[in-house]
Amino acid sequence: MARRFLTSDDLRRMAAGGKEVVVDEETIVTAAAMELARAHGIAILTGRGAQWSEPRPDRGPDAERAQRMLPHLPEPAGDPDEVVTGVVVTAVGRNRPGILAEITASLAAAQGSVHDISQKMVEGYFHMVITVELPPGTTFGAVKRHMECLGGPEDYVVRVMHERLFRFMHRI
Amino acid sequence: MSFSDQEILETVRMIELETLDIRTITLGVSLWDCADSDLDASCEKVYAKIVHHGKDLVAVGNSISSDYGIPIVNKRIATSPIAFVAAACGARDLTPFAKAMDAAAERCGVDFIGGFTSYVHKGYTNADRALFDSIPTALATTKRVCSSVSLASTRAGINMDAVNHFAQVVLDTAHATAEQGGLGAAKLVCFCNAVEDNPFVAGAHIGAGEGETVVNVGVSGPGVVRSALARLGPGADLLAVAETVKRTAFKITRMGELVGREAARRLGTSFGIVDVSLAPTPAVGDSVADILELIGVDRTGAPGTTAALALLTDAVKKGGAMASSSVGGLSGAFIPVSEDAGMIRAVAEGALSLAKLEAMTSVCSVGLDMVAVPGDTPVDVVAGIIADEMAIGMINNKPTAVRFLPIPGRKPGETVDWGGLLGTAIVQDPGRFGARVLHARGGRVPAPLQGYKN
Repeated sequence: MARRFLTSDDLRRMAAGGKEVVVDEETIVTAAAMELARAHGIAILTGRGAQWSEPRPDRGPDAERAQRMLPHLPEPAGDPDEVVTGVVVTAVGRNRPGILAEITASLAAAQGSVHDISQKMVEGYFHMVITVELPPGTTFGAVKRHMECLGGPEDYVVRVMHERLFRFMHRI
Repeated sequence: MSFSDQEILETVRMIELETLDIRTITLGVSLWDCADSDLDASCEKVYAKIVHHGKDLVAVGNSISSDYGIPIVNKRIATSPIAFVAAACGARDLTPFAKAMDAAAERCGVDFIGGFTSYVHKGYTNADRALFDSIPTALATTKRVCSSVSLASTRAGINMDAVNHFAQVVLDTAHATAEQGGLGAAKLVCFCNAVEDNPFVAGAHIGAGEGETVVNVGVSGPGVVRSALARLGPGADLLAVAETVKRTAFKITRMGELVGREAARRLGTSFGIVDVSLAPTPAVGDSVADILELIGVDRTGAPGTTAALALLTDAVKKGGAMASSSVGGLSGAFIPVSEDAGMIRAVAEGALSLAKLEAMTSVCSVGLDMVAVPGDTPVDVVAGIIADEMAIGMINNKPTAVRFLPIPGRKPGETVDWGGLLGTAIVQDPGRFGARVLHARGGRVPAPLQGYKN
């Protein structure tokens, strides 16, 4: 019989003085049951005789369908070939020599290819926008963490955002 | 992949300067399978199931935030209505369920969990009655649990017995948390036409038609709409105002759509809805009242406010509907008085009365929200105000809600400061006339003709 949960009460009843109980791999063992089992040295086993460990959450039938369908939801972009791992880097700060070099050197280290770049000076402050394409397999988070360490509060501030956000906000 | 500088800087500006954020990623967890004839066993299951599904929620939310550079303010959990789950155990005091939910929320690292909920718009089960009776203690003895009840619907009418009962529950909850300025009542809300996929607390829960688990996203951005209208200026006509709000709402909702898809993918569940609600915070500029004043009223509450709010709510919905096929929840504009600096100012200056607020709720997305009244307000007055709000929802086929804060020991005009997101409330005057006979009659307001659609 399939068992959804194993509560402390279930454990007491099923162990009945013995030293092990058998549950399904999908059974959720409550925290109180785990504690009781530990206190009394009762082993919680699965049908295969292995020690029970917390199963991956079963998110339900809708979830299963959603996971299949999510990748097929249309992305807001004209041409699907345009969809690449891209980042948008913006930098704002006081101007001084070498800032562009620092930023592009960091991008080069991540194998990023600059797609577009623009820079404006407003009252002694520069505003830079760079769109960059990252090679397949690059972790966005790592690039972002690395880039955002550049500059500093008294110097300039870099912000790295995923290109997908801009596509969602500015394209149909 | 080419964007103009203007597009890029617009997005950066919205996030950096105009407080655009994902207000909440709310994971809905069905607790139907936690019913048990034994109270303790049922509570063990509730804790286990919430933690089983919710333990990764905060990490996933943070990873999306860091990967996309989008602020995600809250991660929350919504459950099936506890009254349904608790029915099998027959307990009279359901506080242990609230404690199990509270402990599970703490374990998952979320600040609020919604679902201490009951549907009584037509009648009570024994479990519903037990839940109502347990609310004051449940909210006074837990930190994170939010409670909501459905008292009316267009289809069923208004359960006036439940309205009366709820009015007493609100007063008892406020008094049970008197030391915290009646804070318990801020975690308690009643609905007409309750929304079953609402990601925002205090009303968050997942209804009977929802799946095993689901991710719902609440996105906000009063500051963005406010700035867009400020740039538009006072010379543009109302059509231009509506168009500006709609375009802005489109962009805000799109951010919610992206986060919803991503959260569902990373959590391995389905994406329910984006709730595009202009949900204000006490932060400067993050105010719905400011938007109404930019649309053109001298102060929120002045003549023209209801019309301005109607335009705003409708334009937000239209922009949202274009941006996502999954718009749901309470989408529109929230008007929580204490949480909106502009609303507080309007009350302080005498521009915004309780009566005007009620009128505004006929066109906003929810209802009377975070409205403080004196702690000694008679129960028939509280019940009368709730019944009025339920009637607006029932007749207009829209959700309406009441989150009422009777502040123990305070008189009209005095303030109570909760700090944080809940903000500052000025105690409002509910007037000196009540509804004693209406209250004493009880029974049910029958469903209106609007409900007889088949």
